[in-house]
Amino acid sequence: MAGSPDHLFNLRNNFYLGSYQAAINNSDLPNLSPDDAVERDCLVYRSYIAFGSYQLVINEIDSSAATPLQAVKLLALYLSNPHDKESTISSLKEWLADPAIGNNPILRLIAGIIFTHEEGYNEALKHTNAGGTMELHALNVQIFIKMHRSDYAERQLRVMQQIDEDHTLTQLANAWLNLAVGGSKIQEAYLIFQDFSEKYPMTGLILNGKAVCCMHMGNFDEAETLLLEALNKDAKDPETLANLVVCSLHLGKSSSRYLSQLKLTHPEHILVKRASSAEDSFERAVQSVA
Amino acid sequence: MLTKFETKSNRVKGLSFHTKRPWILASLHSGVIQLWDYRMGTLIDRFDEHDGPVRGVHFHMSQPLFVSGGDDYKIKVWNYKLHRCLFTLLGHLDYIRTVQFHHEHPWIVSASDDQTIRIWNWQSRTCISVLTGHNHYVMCASFHPKEDLVVSASLDQTVRVWDVSSLKKKGASPADDILRLSQMNTDLFGGVDAVVKYVLEGHDRGVNWAAFHPTLPLIVSGADDRQVKLWRMNDTKAWEVDTLRGHMNNVSCVMFHAKQDIIVSNSEDKSIRVWDATKRTGLQTFRREHDRFWILAAHPEINLLAAGHDSGMIVFKLERERPAFAVSGDSLFYAKDRFLRYYDFSTQKETQIVPIRRAGSTTLNQCPRTLSYSPTENAVLICSDVDGGTYELYQIPKDSIGRSDLQEAKRGPGSSAIFVARNRFAVLDKSNNQVLIKNLKNEVVRKSGLPVPTDAIFYAGTGNLLCRSDDRVVVFDLQQRLVLGDLQAPFVKYVVWSSDMESVALLSKHSIIITSKKLVHQCTFHETIRVKSGAWDENGVFIYTTPNHIKYCLPNGDSGIIRTLDVPIYLTKVSGNKIFCLDRDGKNKTLVIDATEYIFKLSLLRKRYDHVMSMIRNSQLCGEAVIAYLQQKGFPEVALHFVKDEKTRFNLAIESGNIQIAVASAKEIDDKDHWYRLGVEALRQGNAGIVEYAYQRTKNFERLSFLYLINGNLEKLSKMLKIAEVKNDVMGQFHNALYLGDIQERVKILENAGHLPLAYVTASVHGLHDVAERLAAELGDDVPSFPEGKEPSLMPPAPIICGGDWPLLRVMKGIFEGGFDSTGRGAVDEEEEGADGDWGEDLDMVDSDGLQNGDVTAILEDGEVAEDNEEGGWDLEDLELPPEVETPRVNARSSVFVAPTPGMPVSQIWTQRSSLAADHAAAGNFDTAKRLLSRQLGIRNFTPLKSMFLDLHTGSHSYLRAFSSAPVVSLAVERGWSESASPNVRGPPALVFNFSQLDEKLKAGYKATTDGKFTEALRLFLNILHTIPLIVVESRREVDEVKELIIIAKEYVLGLQMELKRRELKDNPVRQQELAAYFTHCNLQMPHLRLALRNAMTICFKAKNLATAANFARRLLETNPNENHSKAARQVLQASERNMTDASQLNYDFRNPFVTCGATYVPIYRGQKDVSCPYCTTRFVPTQEGQLCTICDLAVIGADASGLLCSPSQIR
Repeated sequence: MAGSPDHLFNLRNNFYLGSYQAAINNSDLPNLSPDDAVERDCLVYRSYIAFGSYQLVINEIDSSAATPLQAVKLLALYLSNPHDKESTISSLKEWLADPAIGNNPILRLIAGIIFTHEEGYNEALKHTNAGGTMELHALNVQIFIKMHRSDYAERQLRVMQQIDEDHTLTQLANAWLNLAVGGSKIQEAYLIFQDFSEKYPMTGLILNGKAVCCMHMGNFDEAETLLLEALNKDAKDPETLANLVVCSLHLGKSSSRYLSQLKLTHPEHILVKRASSAEDSFERAVQSVA
Repeated sequence: MLTKFETKSNRVKGLSFHTKRPWILASLHSGVIQLWDYRMGTLIDRFDEHDGPVRGVHFHMSQPLFVSGGDDYKIKVWNYKLHRCLFTLLGHLDYIRTVQFHHEHPWIVSASDDQTIRIWNWQSRTCISVLTGHNHYVMCASFHPKEDLVVSASLDQTVRVWDVSSLKKKGASPADDILRLSQMNTDLFGGVDAVVKYVLEGHDRGVNWAAFHPTLPLIVSGADDRQVKLWRMNDTKAWEVDTLRGHMNNVSCVMFHAKQDIIVSNSEDKSIRVWDATKRTGLQTFRREHDRFWILAAHPEINLLAAGHDSGMIVFKLERERPAFAVSGDSLFYAKDRFLRYYDFSTQKETQIVPIRRAGSTTLNQCPRTLSYSPTENAVLICSDVDGGTYELYQIPKDSIGRSDLQEAKRGPGSSAIFVARNRFAVLDKSNNQVLIKNLKNEVVRKSGLPVPTDAIFYAGTGNLLCRSDDRVVVFDLQQRLVLGDLQAPFVKYVVWSSDMESVALLSKHSIIITSKKLVHQCTFHETIRVKSGAWDENGVFIYTTPNHIKYCLPNGDSGIIRTLDVPIYLTKVSGNKIFCLDRDGKNKTLVIDATEYIFKLSLLRKRYDHVMSMIRNSQLCGEAVIAYLQQKGFPEVALHFVKDEKTRFNLAIESGNIQIAVASAKEIDDKDHWYRLGVEALRQGNAGIVEYAYQRTKNFERLSFLYLINGNLEKLSKMLKIAEVKNDVMGQFHNALYLGDIQERVKILENAGHLPLAYVTASVHGLHDVAERLAAELGDDVPSFPEGKEPSLMPPAPIICGGDWPLLRVMKGIFEGGFDSTGRGAVDEEEEGADGDWGEDLDMVDSDGLQNGDVTAILEDGEVAEDNEEGGWDLEDLELPPEVETPRVNARSSVFVAPTPGMPVSQIWTQRSSLAADHAAAGNFDTAKRLLSRQLGIRNFTPLKSMFLDLHTGSHSYLRAFSSAPVVSLAVERGWSESASPNVRGPPALVFNFSQLDEKLKAGYKATTDGKFTEALRLFLNILHTIPLIVVESRREVDEVKELIIIAKEYVLGLQMELKRRELKDNPVRQQELAAYFTHCNLQMPHLRLALRNAMTICFKAKNLATAANFARRLLETNPNENHSKAARQVLQASERNMTDASQLNYDFRNPFVTCGATYVPIYRGQKDVSCPYCTTRFVPTQEGQLCTICDLAVIGADASGLLCSPSQIR
């Protein structure tokens, strides 16, 4: 890293740690180089996407914008219209095949995200595994975790640690991996989130991270406290609601309100999907046993 | 050398420390003796009676005395309290070099150029011995600190040791001295009472100084041969041990250090030298530019030295005494005596943790200087000045605190090193003005340049540094390389963070600056003396110490003294009114302070008036200072509650507008001025009654009249008129008349006063023509003429109403007034207590009954037994790894990249490893879960289990938002987590149901039963039965308890079902009686059994089935029911004994043991055939076989089943 202060540091950190509003609000940075400005815009638009404001992103990015921004727009298109993914994916594939822009890290990142959504992990990895940016590496870690290949995830993490061990994404990826492998590593994950909470303003993401660690350590009471704090920050955050459902179940409390809230606001959430498929499989099993 | 104090003066020849107070005496070549307070740095007194230089001076150990001897041959004894010389001892025939008090006898020893040493009794004021033998000037003489010895040094090149024990025998009483007076002259020379014991020869020139070692038989001497010699003695002889060479000129003074193994000497070569007394090598040299040194003195108790030179003196320390420490939560880590030690604030226990490196004693001041502790790593960084700044990193052994094997510490150069984050510490590299960020392996992870020239770094929150340069401090973010805060501050020595890391106190030599975490200045406190240490209390008050005080700083900049201190201490923690500190010996101490004052002020500041009020009510504090403070801070109404003095009280009442109190005080004081001021305030507020009262008291008629005018009180005004008339006050009369609009009266007054023209004008203008004419007649020619066209207007308007008080101004009192009566609250408390009582009773009953279940919980909590490892070291990696594919990393984005095959989800592992239904359900494998339950418990009906299955499944995974906009990661939650669990080894799923929840439900079920809420109770017990198939416990013992619980729940379900059925059957008394009777044979808790028996007894008795009722009554009596119930039972018993018959025949033979069929509710007597439910074990009549169990609603009656499997321990 160069000695000069990193202008986008705060913006990136806010984005990674889930304080999207702060990222948007503090994006007006003076004296940015053109490259930095594009990166800034990407982060801001991706923050809007994280909020679910897809249409804003689609409208604001016009066809003359730089490739990374086009890629971000593609992500917004993909997420905004779950029924017509094919056209988005096909144009994505088209772009990836174009040697002029196909190597753009943001485009590759977006490709990784979209293919991961499609559960096409191999396809995703095809574009992301080469790395190049911390974000790509972090996404790789996540994909490997999703594939239940913590050995590969660990290798990716080591690459990240060699680049910058103290980078927020490195720390985050480390926490994800620790949680995925479990055991004594959970505690380390907790400490990482604890570090974040001491260093940066509390966000729902950090609180959820801590809460998940607590749950994995069997400490559901503390997890509940943390999750309720997160709920205070954002009453509609799907992960907070989902984790609250789980946490309440373990505490023997009623989880139905959180569940119905989640069903209402995020019908596509993995917990909702799992629950409904479980219901189906229960009925199926009743048939088969009977 | 740490200089504590310096003076500029004439040459200093003699020095002496006071034992207790921070004072030092300096005798000067000019003849003056100065008394300094070296802590405050002030000259307390000067004593100027000697003629010529004063070379020797010495404080008495315990009395307010000191002795001095000078070139005027006089020894003077002074009382410093009386500021005067008490007496003079005459006898020496030449300059006196040194004087010294004996530590216990009333003796003074003096050395003189007349070649003698004299010992004086200062009580009898006589010379008791003259020690002759030296044949040149005696330069110094001093008593041994313990033994009866005197050592002297002389220019005759010898050091002599004298035995003075015989003096003690002789001088036992003062009377002896007087007796001996006559003798004295005879043995003036060659007296036998004090004899030379040893003569130490070895110096080649005159010896200037000799001193005993405080404990060992050693002597050290310094001479004009520039050498320091060390001598040893035993009972019979003394000999030279060694010579310390190094001084470049005459050695003036030399001494052993009382606490360390060193010798300190000074010399006319303008240096002070420190020597190692064992190795006899020079340790350190301190030089002055121009001043030759003449004298040294050591403080008798603390580590202070003083040296006198040509132009003054210095008070100094050789080594820092502040122990290095770090506080973390409830723990204190500090370095003491080559050990890292640990102190627990809550238990107040201290432990030795690890030995730390012994600093080579090549130079002084090598002790640990700062200490930084990382709670996450449980490691300590210790910095010291060794080799120009070194840090050492020690890992604290986790389990064996107190084990003391020497671990090789990781170390490196750097004067400052602190932990900045987990597994990271920063080391200052001063020469390149950068910090090295290292990990715990002591490897450099990163380097970062610093924004300002920095000579020390301090902790400033995770990832931040507080950098100190000469005149400022900055907070620097290491990751962003950004300066977060910047503040001009005098050289900061210590930094103390508040526990929430929001505020920081920067301690400089003479000031404290309090700032926010970004160094936004909040307030500054200045001290005239050194600030030693500080700590934050829980309320955000900063407590700090100076050498002699503990003080507080409030966030608004107020400060004050909490208490005085005898010796300096180093605060480590403040908790409530307890102050924890380390003293200079590194001992932990706890002081209790009175925190009331600053807590009170803080509460005021924070507007926590409830606190303020309760403190006032308990009146823990009082005094002028608090009153003045309150007044100054704008709280006169609060101050009011403290004041007893009426005048102050009055003033405060006026200031706060509290009229009632002001009136009361004014009555007490009763002087004009106060009444007047009361009137003014009352008028301001519009309280006319009080205004009137005040004016009346002071007889201020004019004001009173005006007040009545304003109020429209005509009646009182006319009274005033009369009063004025009585008092013969014409002006007053006229005013009142004017106010009243009474023209006749006015005319009369004017007339009487002799103002006839005015009277005439008044009368004629107002149309009193007859009077006017009469007056005109009297006036004759002098009738005044009227100006044209003027209407007379001297009539006051008639009052509309005659009012009392005006609408009063609102006076601020609210918060405080209301709070002082505290009756309101008690009532609520009582009520609550009442409710509590009720609850308590209820609970008690259930508790005592559910004792057995209490045990269950205890056992349950007991056992986190090891996990099941039925399949040994089964490992995901080994199983599923594809053949190792070498992934080409270069240009890996090409199609050559082969993605790994997905691994096995954790839930799949669960199903593979477990044969517990719950684990399968959690994994979402409902199919197998159901097969298992069906095989184990014969369960066919899964509908009641649906929600349990779904909950188990939902509760088995948590959700982690990882990469933004990418799908969330779901993570399998495992049960039985422990710190030492190895990663990547999968535990079984965490289940949402556990045994303790069931226990709760059982209690709730019991309670519902007691309360008669049978439907609710039935629901709870059924829920227990439905949950148990999906319960997992650890130990075998718990398995038995689960099985027991099934039985308990089953009995209740059966009983409650029968009871509910009975209530439906209104018109079948026989069946009703039977069901009530069967209910009493369910295995119930005692109170429930009692209720069931009473129920059955009543029903049967009413139905005239007296014999059966009597049986129930008897059984009821056996259960020890309460008064009422036993009475009823006895009555039933009595009634039925008269007529032992049953009116109707019941299918109930209580003599014959039976169980009740769960479906048909008929008794199955012993020996009869039955079938049972494979799960809940309820028995049924054989016709029910193949049906669904009506009790648990799960299993098929009579089905084959292998039995409940609810613990991995059953499989092992």
